[in-house]
Amino acid sequence: MTPDHEHLSVSCNVDLSAIVPISIRHVDIKALHAQYRDALASISRSYEIIYVVDGAFADVIAGLDELLRAGEKLTAVYLTRTFGESTALMAGFEQTTGAVIVTLPAYYQIEPADISKLVTALGSADMAVACRWPRVGGPAERLRRWAFHGLVRWMTGLSLHDLGCSARAMKRQILEEISLYGDQHRLLPALADRQGFRVQEIQVRQSPQDRYSEGYRTREYAHRLLDVFAVFFLVRFTKKPLRFFGMVGASTLCIGTALVLYLVVARLFFGESLANRPALLLSSLLVVLGLQLFALGLLGELIIFTHARGLKDYQVDRVIEFHAAEHETA
Amino acid sequence: MSEPVNSTPAEVPVQAHLRLSVIVPFYNESENIARMYQAILGAVEPLGVPFEMVFVDDGSKDDTLEIATRLARTDPRLRVIKFRRNFGQTPAMAAGIEHARGEILITMDGDLQNDPADVVQFLNKMDEGYDLVVGWRFNRQDKMISRKIPSRIANRLIGRVTGVPIQDNGCSLKAYRASVIKNIPLYSEMHRFIPAMASIAGPRIAEIKVRHHARQFGTSKYGLSRIYKVLLDLLVIKTVASFTTRPLLWFAMLSMPLFLGGLVAFVYLLLAALLSSEGMSVPIAGTGVIFLAGALIMFSSGAVAEIVYKTGDIRERDFARLTSRVRTCRS
Repeated sequence: MTPDHEHLSVSCNVDLSAIVPISIRHVDIKALHAQYRDALASISRSYEIIYVVDGAFADVIAGLDELLRAGEKLTAVYLTRTFGESTALMAGFEQTTGAVIVTLPAYYQIEPADISKLVTALGSADMAVACRWPRVGGPAERLRRWAFHGLVRWMTGLSLHDLGCSARAMKRQILEEISLYGDQHRLLPALADRQGFRVQEIQVRQSPQDRYSEGYRTREYAHRLLDVFAVFFLVRFTKKPLRFFGMVGASTLCIGTALVLYLVVARLFFGESLANRPALLLSSLLVVLGLQLFALGLLGELIIFTHARGLKDYQVDRVIEFHAAEHETA
Repeated sequence: MSEPVNSTPAEVPVQAHLRLSVIVPFYNESENIARMYQAILGAVEPLGVPFEMVFVDDGSKDDTLEIATRLARTDPRLRVIKFRRNFGQTPAMAAGIEHARGEILITMDGDLQNDPADVVQFLNKMDEGYDLVVGWRFNRQDKMISRKIPSRIANRLIGRVTGVPIQDNGCSLKAYRASVIKNIPLYSEMHRFIPAMASIAGPRIAEIKVRHHARQFGTSKYGLSRIYKVLLDLLVIKTVASFTTRPLLWFAMLSMPLFLGGLVAFVYLLLAALLSSEGMSVPIAGTGVIFLAGALIMFSSGAVAEIVYKTGDIRERDFARLTSRVRTCRS
């Protein structure tokens, strides 16, 4: 036990818990385990490794069996089908006991020796996010990366450069507070930042075996964009849906109304017939759409209001009071 | 005890013997916090009522927290709630209200613009049987153009729309009955709507004049939020305040104009078909269809709203129970 985690010693058996969610993209599990084990052992804190097998991958299951038979200290969680990385992470988290949670990819992304850098960074931050640097990759991929992270920065206000890297270290509290679903694991730093945790980006060396250079397919990019949008919405407008829908709805309504007015004026004063103008269709569509969006926003507000007891706008760090002082001096 | 806490209101019971909680949020107020503490003590101690102070540090970047901690270490009547980062004035008030243990809660700003000496007035008014007493800064010491005029317009508007005619919604100095306010959701930037929000619960509301001082130290932290935010928030309050119990009715009313628009288009088509032989006008027919479809979707939203209300945990009958007083004669 290191001194800075002493107050958690009651509930935690180890210092570090590493979670490795294993999905379709993975490398030979035995070689990977050897690397991660050595890297974690070199940090000289007690640790545990938890593998979450997200689907029926025969080679992974066989590999883990072999490791377990050989007496390797690890925990394996087998999911019945592929649930996605966020769910796998949460399933792995249930098995952890460490005060520090390290998430690691099931393939080579970073130099394993640099995991210690992430853990060390937790001294001053609540979450350390790895950023592979220097990084290989063609100009097209670099442009794509730049655009994606620019969008994330614009939407969440958080300047990160490598959300694709899943090597991260964080305090246990983060995953206790934030329940991940869907594909939110990538944007966990943004969600943590929203909750008031300090997020820091740490540069680590890229693994020489990190050769996934064909990039993402378009569909995958569409998914990631939707994720960013979902998180953006969660971060900015959870408590005030009408701010968003109201704005979009009001502008649609305004455009529609202006168009309607123009048509009416044209009809009344210039005798242009309404009956054969497709513009009438457009304007009425805009008006109706604007009202709909507004109603959606109000519906959202109603949801927030009637469920507001469970929602909290703030996160209390600690309560300082008189008898607490007595405890500390004792 | 310096563990992170995530207490729910249920864990912070109202203590029967603790009469009063004074709640003050602070954000970068290192010059003011000790003075505020002294001023509250000077005003409340002579009253002889058991009281406590709850200071909320809204993620200050100066040494507000250090000063507050030092005060809390020497005074058992003071508790300091430290936020993980800056969350804003309404959340700070809400946190203070949640962690307070007194029967009567009094909130005020941490910048010495409110005068703690007014607390006694509030207590007297509460003793008269009111559930919510709101301060009115009748000679407000702030800039005219940037603060007073917009605030006057906003207050007029809020009073008009919500039907709770209060001169000064923005005044932080307010007194609440704990049992009532702890059950009213406070979120987003609702602090200027607390009376309107509270009026959902049907409390007895009074307004009293309070002193207001010009700011001596530090700078004003909470500027005017943009107008459209206030307008939208007002709309939300109006919605939840007047229609929570009958969301379907309200959405049905919204869908009415659309329905009528569609109807007019179809009647026109029918007449045109009967009176002339030119054939059907496609744009008019399309418009009618769009309007009717819109009305239908809006109506369906109302049905969803009904489900939302049913599954939510805030019901009007809870509010009725909170503020009602029962007198019986059994013999």
